[in-house]
Parts: sequence; structure tokens; C-alpha cells
Amino acid sequence: MAEMWINMGPQHPMTHGLWNLRVKVDGETIVDAQPEVGYLHRGIEKLVEGRTYTQVIPITDRLCYGSSLTWSHLYCLTAENLMGVEVPPRAEYIRVAAIEMQRIASHLMWLAAYAADLGLMLGFIYTMRDREIFIDLLQAMSGSRLTYNYPRIGGVAHDVPPNFERDALRACSYMEKKLKEYEDLFDGSKVFMMRNVDVGLLKKEDAMNLGVTGPPLRASGVKYDLRKDMPYSIYPELNFEPATHPDGDCYARYKVRMDEMYTSCKLIRQAVQKMPKGKWRVVAPRNAPVGTGLGRVEDPRGEGVMYLVGDGSDRPYRLKIRSPIFVTVSAAPKMLIGYKLADVVAIMGGLDMCIGETDR
Amino acid sequence: MAARGKGSPAEGMERALSKVDDVPEERVIRALLDNFPTAVTDFKKLSKGVVRARIERRDIHKACLFVRDTLGFEHLSMISAVEYDDRFEIVYHIASWSQRLLLELITSTPKDDPSVDSVSSIWGGANWQERESYDLMGIKFSNHPKLERILLPKDYLYHPLRKDFKGGD
Repeated sequence: MAEMWINMGPQHPMTHGLWNLRVKVDGETIVDAQPEVGYLHRGIEKLVEGRTYTQVIPITDRLCYGSSLTWSHLYCLTAENLMGVEVPPRAEYIRVAAIEMQRIASHLMWLAAYAADLGLMLGFIYTMRDREIFIDLLQAMSGSRLTYNYPRIGGVAHDVPPNFERDALRACSYMEKKLKEYEDLFDGSKVFMMRNVDVGLLKKEDAMNLGVTGPPLRASGVKYDLRKDMPYSIYPELNFEPATHPDGDCYARYKVRMDEMYTSCKLIRQAVQKMPKGKWRVVAPRNAPVGTGLGRVEDPRGEGVMYLVGDGSDRPYRLKIRSPIFVTVSAAPKMLIGYKLADVVAIMGGLDMCIGETDR
Repeated sequence: MAARGKGSPAEGMERALSKVDDVPEERVIRALLDNFPTAVTDFKKLSKGVVRARIERRDIHKACLFVRDTLGFEHLSMISAVEYDDRFEIVYHIASWSQRLLLELITSTPKDDPSVDSVSSIWGGANWQERESYDLMGIKFSNHPKLERILLPKDYLYHPLRKDFKGGD
């Protein structure tokens, strides 16, 4: 049969953002694929060079609308590493509670989009409803719903609101109950299972070589989670086990994210219960010294890294952002080739694309 | 509070290598020094598990191959290009999952010839990151399979992250 190229995107229900996937098909089988990104490039790395260190925090929030807090947290971590600022313990606990809530909210948003992609509209409604609980908690902490501007260099902007511990614990128990319900809903759906099991296999060696990180890597059987293996913040003091799955298909990626939400509930519970009293912010210097700072965190989508160069002034000389999805999507042809055109939605949806951070 | 806390980059920078080789960070430095005695120009232990080494650009491909195959650094985390007044620096952050180490490998190129060997044949994940550095900073990676612009349009004329490009603010 004649081979032809098909453009899926930039405007396509599958893309969740603005990017293009060119697939070459032979009949219905994919023989080649070319992801194309860059439609949402805003030049954030250039933009921050004209801002002071504090003014950069809300810009890094805009890297990803789904998990903005992890990015501003990563930026503050990097700036603290550059300036040599030590964060008070209470702030570390508040940050961990907040980023784990953000992780649940982000995974729930992924699950909603994924369910809608695969024809399970009920899953979309349920997960979006329960995501609001964590959005509300984050709103109570920071004052806004999606772009929080909450972490600061040297701590967090405010202390937690009254009754935060009670609300967070309540949200965790509710979420754990609901997660079981979702698992019944999704695993019990014949259509969902048919479109997921044994689709989009990514071998362990390929995943490691292509720089895939986060849930897709752990779903390929590599037990690597920066929260455990290169711990930052107060993760060494918390008791948890990163989720892995040996299969490497779309179902494994779904399963890893579901298990991560249980883990996050566990972490939030420990963080709010162990939270010490004290200051939540120290004053950071206005100017950074000459040198470099590095921050690495486990973003909901993979490994987020920032490399910050200071030149002694009050503005960053260079900020390099490593977006996990930018690297993961370059591995997409490995997952797509050999499968049918109808599997593209499941495979690419299972990667949890976020174009804001991919294009920066 | 400008006081330097624990784990800040300044601490432990000037520490000399000890005789024992069971400190993983020092083992990496020693292996690099033994195998590239003329190319490695500088090394530091930045903090626990993080090592920085500077290497001449002619040996970057060989060094990366050595780092992956012999030292077991299986994950190329990030490639960054930084422009300074007199040079471009290309910074490779390479991680080892099993040993919990991060190697910051820095190579520099002169301003008038910003080119370096591609490492995308060693780590497939380098492919797009090198294209991004080419696109935004204008670093040419030789032997790259497809060195094209990735984020900006194909007919764009500038490399916007260079300091002489006045945009934005």
C-alpha cells in the first residue's frame, strides 16, 4: 500500500496544547513519526534575563498550567543553591505538602484528559470534580487557583491557613477512597483496557538511552525517582516508596500515575503531621554571587532541572530549564512505530504532554 | 541572610583528593584524570553526589563514551549552552542512577567557532537538546543526525539567547 504522511495537529483533539505530530502510515500501520514542537515558544529563558530574581518566580509559574507550583519551587530551589540561602524547616514541610497536592492535581488533570481521549467521558467528569478539592486547598494557601506564585527564595510567601492540617488530612482520606473508585471504573472498562494493554511498548534500554524520565520511565521498570535517589528538601525524612511497573505499555504508565497519587496522599499526611512550628521565610539577598546554581526535582512529568548562572547583579545571567516532556516527546517515535493510527491517541495521551514547559 | 548554608556550592570546592578511592565522587574525578590527563583542566566536588569537571572540547565525545560505558552514567539529563564575554560554555549534566551521582561536564568553545562534537550517538536524549542549543544559542554540533531549528521557525535569522540579540525587555 502507498505510504503517506498525516499531520495530527497543530489543531487536533489529541494534542492537548499546540503541537504537531506527523505520522507516516502504511495502510493503518505507523512506519515513521515526527513530533514538531515550538508553537508555544515564549522565550522564557530570554525573558528572565531582564527581570530581578524575585520577579522571575511568577514567570516560572507560567511554564506549566497543570503543575505550576513545582516549577516555581524548582526555581526557588535553584536560586537558593546559587545564593546559599538556607530555608527554615517549616517552609520545607509546607513546600512538600504543596507540591504533593500539586502532583495529585496534575495527575488528575492528566487522567481526566486521558479518559476523555479514550472515550470514557464519565472519567473526565469525576476526576475534574475531585481535582477541585486540591485546587481549593492550594488556593487557601496561596490565593490563586492555578498559577500560585507561592514559593519564595528563602521559604514560602505565607504561612498555611487556619485548619489546614484538618482540611489536608480530610482531602487525603477522601482522595484515597475515590482512587479506588477510579481504579474500578477504569480497570473495569473493556474499551479502556483494550486501548491500553500492550500498546506503545517502551523497552527499558530505550527509555534509559532516550532520556525519558518520570512516570514513563518508572513504567518501563526503572526504579528511579529523584525524591528517593537524589533527595532534596525534606524527602529523606518521609517514608514512601516510588511506584514502578515492569510492563512499559500505556497501561503501566496509567498504573504508575495512579500509584503515585496514593504515594502523594501518604506524603501530604506525613508532611502536615510532622510540620514544625517556626518561621516560614527568611530574607534572601537581592543580588546573587558570581557562580552557578543547580536544582533538580521530580516534577509530575519527569525530571525538572534548572541551571542558573549569576553574575553578581540582581538579575539572572542565564537560566536554563530542562523540561521533562521536551525530552520524552523526542522518544515518541520509538513508542509509535509499529502500532496502528488509532493507537496514537492512547500512546501520546499517556505521556501527559504539557506544551507550556516543552516550548518554554 | 546571605550566610552560606550546608550543601552550598562554595563548601568543599577546594578540598584536595584523598588517598581512598571509595568516595564515589572522588573515584569519578580520579578515573577522568587518569584517562584524560591532558584534557581535564579543572575539577571540583560541588556537594554530596555532584561533581564538576572541565574538559577540552576535542575530547568531549571520547569522554562521554567513557563516562557512559566505564563509569556507568546512563542518563544524560541536560545540555545547556551559556554565553560569556570570551567564550561559549556547553554544560552537560550526566546522572548515574545506580551510584546516585551527577557529573557536571563543562567544555568551552571560542566565540568565533562555536562548535562541538555531538553526543547524540551516545545518548539518544541528547538529540533534541542539541538542536535546542543550536536553535537558541547557535552552537553547531558536528556529526548531529539532523541539526535544524526546533522551537523557532525554520527561516528565522537569529539565535535569540545570545547577548547581542536585544529582545524582550
